[in-house]
Amino acid sequence: MSSNEYTKVTTVDDVEPERGMSVTVDGIEIALFKVDGEYHAITNRCPHQNAPLDKVGEKKINGEKCWNERRGGFTDQPAVTCPWHLWEIGLETGEHETSGKRVSVFDVKVEGDDVLVKV
Amino acid sequence: MATEQVDTDLEIPAEARDVRIIDLDFHMNPTEDQLIGYVEDDAAREKLSTEFGMLPRKAKSDAAYAIPGGNEGLFTQGKAEAAEDVKLAADKFAIDEPIVNVGLNNTPTQHNPVLKNAIVQAANDFALDQVIPEDLYCLMMVPQWDPEHAAEEIRRVGDEDGFIGAYGWFGPFALFGETRFDPMFEALVEHDLPLVLHGSLSMWPQNTPVGDNMLSWTEMLGLDWPVFAQVNVANMIMSGLFDKFPSLNVIIEEGGHWWIPFLRYRLDEFYEMHPDDIIIQPRKHEMGERRLGRKPSEYLRDNVYVTTQPMAPPERTRDTKQMLEQSMAEDTFLYSSDWPHQTLDPATWAFRNPAFDDDLSKAILHENAEDLFGI
Ligand code: FES
Repeated sequence: MSSNEYTKVTTVDDVEPERGMSVTVDGIEIALFKVDGEYHAITNRCPHQNAPLDKVGEKKINGEKCWNERRGGFTDQPAVTCPWHLWEIGLETGEHETSGKRVSVFDVKVEGDDVLVKV
Repeated sequence: MATEQVDTDLEIPAEARDVRIIDLDFHMNPTEDQLIGYVEDDAAREKLSTEFGMLPRKAKSDAAYAIPGGNEGLFTQGKAEAAEDVKLAADKFAIDEPIVNVGLNNTPTQHNPVLKNAIVQAANDFALDQVIPEDLYCLMMVPQWDPEHAAEEIRRVGDEDGFIGAYGWFGPFALFGETRFDPMFEALVEHDLPLVLHGSLSMWPQNTPVGDNMLSWTEMLGLDWPVFAQVNVANMIMSGLFDKFPSLNVIIEEGGHWWIPFLRYRLDEFYEMHPDDIIIQPRKHEMGERRLGRKPSEYLRDNVYVTTQPMAPPERTRDTKQMLEQSMAEDTFLYSSDWPHQTLDPATWAFRNPAFDDDLSKAILHENAEDLFGI
């Protein structure tokens, strides 16, 4: 497979908005998000301590009794907030601003019902 | 196949399932209503049930100011109110034995001893009634502000199966080397219970120039706990506590660990140069001894343990290895996750960081805790 190729990873119906989804393409684990109608794909490991970013948006245990009902989240930047320690990682840059650490960002496109990612 | 769905609840490397992981710092937060139901003292129950609540917060600041988006630091992962919540949360991080504390870290900052004692009694009875029967190990809370009462509480519940240690707090409070704590230490030794000391929510002595100028959470939480941890460890060693109670073990939770090399060399150097005031340490004076039985660093290795969260290793493997060795990690480190707080530390490093070889990982993840608690 050439690096210019997109690979189908899922269908639009299977992507839950404001949540994370883990897909693997050629051995690379990717977190896929749909935020404000836009799809984003970045490495599924936080640059801080390797948290799986696809757990973002998971309901906390007794979440209704916490300030935020769900783990991590998203900001307008747009960024994903890591479910472990709340680092904010830019979805377009892959960067965590305070530390300067970054992860890979992948192009995503939708064709019909299919969601495709380019690795 | 080029694509696959990864569907697992486990959030750390799969190998973690093959190793026993004992977690020294797992917080459970029953609701106030749940706890108040266990308070035996009528007057205390009446007052604790008022709108004022059980544990008003005294701190001047909060992690929320420091976290992007103003998220809360205490319940970043959720809230375990029941034993089944603990098991569900622990499983995500391959934690086999969460050692549960009924995380009321605000208790020592409260003012009224009658109310504080009632909270401790209720928390311990809650643990006995609702947590231990579900096959979870627990730490009993000790009312350290009243050492005689602490000894009574240890004698009341310390022999109950499932309580494997006692839980207290270090902070800007009385130092544990004071001889007035001896009745509590006697009871701990008698019941073979290590003393587990956690940071409290009392950050620095407040309304002092030092406390008032700590405006960043990095200083408040990041520095207060290690400072008071070290001050207490040094005080316990230098006051002869471990000469009087050689079998006593003390575990410092969430007070950092990379200070061990500093304390180890610093105390030995200073003690060897200035040993003559040991005879006027009240406990040593009472014992009629002019010197410590051993070097300070030897008590540090044999009687003191630290929990690892957050591990925060240096970037380079060789630096981490050196830090671990200087910290006597194979003898002194115990794994802790601190679930559900923002400072959570899943044990990923044990499986992905080459500085941790198999023997060291096993010692930290379970062997040291097994020896210490007999579990
Ligand atoms: S692992 Fe993501 S913020 Fe720490």
